[in-house]
Amino acid sequence: MTSMKRLYDWFEVRLGIKELVEKNLTGYLLPRNINCWYSMGSIILFIIALQVVTGILLLVYYIPEADKAFGSVTAIMNTMPFGWLIRMCHVIGSNMMILFVMLHMLSTLFMGSNKSPRELNWLSGFILFTLVQAICLTGYLLPWSQLSFWATTVATNSVGAIPYIGQFLVEFLRGGKLVGAPTLGRFYTLHITVIPLTMAAVVGMHLFFLERIGVSTPPFGLDNTKNRWPGGVFRYDDHPGGIPFFPNYILQDMTSIALYFAIFAAVVFFYPNIFFTKDSFVQANPFQTPAHIKPEWYFLANYQTLKLFPNEFIGLSIQGAAMTFLALLPFVDRGNEKLPLKRPLFLTCFIGGLILYIALSIWGHYS
Amino acid sequence: MTRDRLAIIPILLATAIFNLCAAADIPVQEQIVCIRCHGAQPGRLGEPVMLWRGSIHAANGVACNDCHGGDPKDLVNAMNPDRGFLGAPKETAIPGFCGRCHVGVLKDYLRSAHGMALGKGGPTCVTCHSNHLVVKATLEIINEKNCSRCHSFERARTIKDAMRQTEGLIVSIGKEIEGFKSEGVDTEKLEKGLFSVRNRFHTLFHDVDVEKVKQESTQINADLNKLSGVLCKITEQHEKRKLAGIVVVGVALLAALIFYLLRKTYD
Repeated sequence: MTSMKRLYDWFEVRLGIKELVEKNLTGYLLPRNINCWYSMGSIILFIIALQVVTGILLLVYYIPEADKAFGSVTAIMNTMPFGWLIRMCHVIGSNMMILFVMLHMLSTLFMGSNKSPRELNWLSGFILFTLVQAICLTGYLLPWSQLSFWATTVATNSVGAIPYIGQFLVEFLRGGKLVGAPTLGRFYTLHITVIPLTMAAVVGMHLFFLERIGVSTPPFGLDNTKNRWPGGVFRYDDHPGGIPFFPNYILQDMTSIALYFAIFAAVVFFYPNIFFTKDSFVQANPFQTPAHIKPEWYFLANYQTLKLFPNEFIGLSIQGAAMTFLALLPFVDRGNEKLPLKRPLFLTCFIGGLILYIALSIWGHYS
Repeated sequence: MTRDRLAIIPILLATAIFNLCAAADIPVQEQIVCIRCHGAQPGRLGEPVMLWRGSIHAANGVACNDCHGGDPKDLVNAMNPDRGFLGAPKETAIPGFCGRCHVGVLKDYLRSAHGMALGKGGPTCVTCHSNHLVVKATLEIINEKNCSRCHSFERARTIKDAMRQTEGLIVSIGKEIEGFKSEGVDTEKLEKGLFSVRNRFHTLFHDVDVEKVKQESTQINADLNKLSGVLCKITEQHEKRKLAGIVVVGVALLAALIFYLLRKTYD
């Protein structure tokens, strides 16, 4: 008996590795018609891991003080070995994280995978989407550039539109009447501790729900495209005769991750400034408002919506109502059909909503 | 009050609101009393305002009172000497008048042959830069039309040619630095270096000693070439990053292909 075999047996007796592998890898069967959109979750986990690693590396040199933050980021970009690469990966990664969470949610919605019994998966995913936006918003201020300073001023100002408590909330967020050193302290704490820990917990919940209920079946290439869940009692959604997660689907995940990484690296190395403007590299100056301050691309639709209404509160309320409706969609849309072509109302709303979002974003960019 | 008379109230209100909104859009210097009064007058009294509107001073927010003093907010005392009103200076006082702001330029001018001829038929600031339509200080001011009013253009042409290359270098280096800055490169040292060289170069603008201008321009060009060298190194570094990018993207695509083929094998 070789020493490796003995070591394996030692662990096998104590952990039941064979059973674990069979249950979660080789014996974990997925629908035969599964497609590449199901690997979005793995890509997002990969992005989050990369964000954590680059974020920790940035923490080594970043100084979260209003008078030193900009200088420390400049030093990271220009004098620290591979500092530019680490920062660019973090900045571009944050944008990619939002993009791929959106794609994951859109594909889930399109394939009806949010329907019963996966309401909790959808809801936890929706909370994750909000947290990802929050972590991006708080991270935006940290370089203490003109762009980050004024974008945060505009973003925190919006909260002031809430009646009665609006002004209190603005000052609570900023730590004062204006964006300043206390705001940086607050956003820094939220960015590196509170939000990441909450995200870790919600990701854990999301994976736990997936593990308990099983992977959904895509409605494409099947005769029966109706929801198979009978309701009433808990039942794991298994897929007898399906393809094993290991090695088959894990190789699909690896293909998708490698493809994603190629796109990500292309942006980092060839278009590193795609998410920056001139004001991103000018130190924050509270006395000089830049001429055209626009939010990041993922907030452009919200920004434009606010401008469409005469009252900011109405704009915020409509956005809040739309987000709540989306979050609670599987509780509202309780039909059994999953194939989009057999759901004309859903398909119209899906395409219309997508066009509206893109149009508002483009309008916001050029307005 | 009849109904017709009442109807005029909203019109008057709308006009007042429109005027208030329009006033809010007018630049601050346009709202001073000097411009409101002189701007409306025809001929000699209104001409300075018309000329000033096309000047570098107007573009940079420098208004009448910044040079002529007085009280720009009080129509009655706008031209009161007790409020610091100076009016138009005499010819020999012009360099001192402009030199209150352009301190370095005044020093350069007074040292030059132009400055030494002040009061003896020599040119003052307004001879080349104009008085109200103040022209930006560029090499283009040195031209045959301007110079040949007092002397031949030949010498000025030699000076201009010697300075042209330097001017071009300064502009192109400035643009390159600006480009790198907008990409996150720390350009503080480069900007300071260019600022210092540009200042040295500008002192030559009022010098009419051909040999000195040539010599100084050569020295300034050498310093500019040093700055260019630093910029070239940054460009090279960026090129290297792109080469590394090609390798990383290539490896990632290759990995994707291998994983895909492996998956197909298992399928």
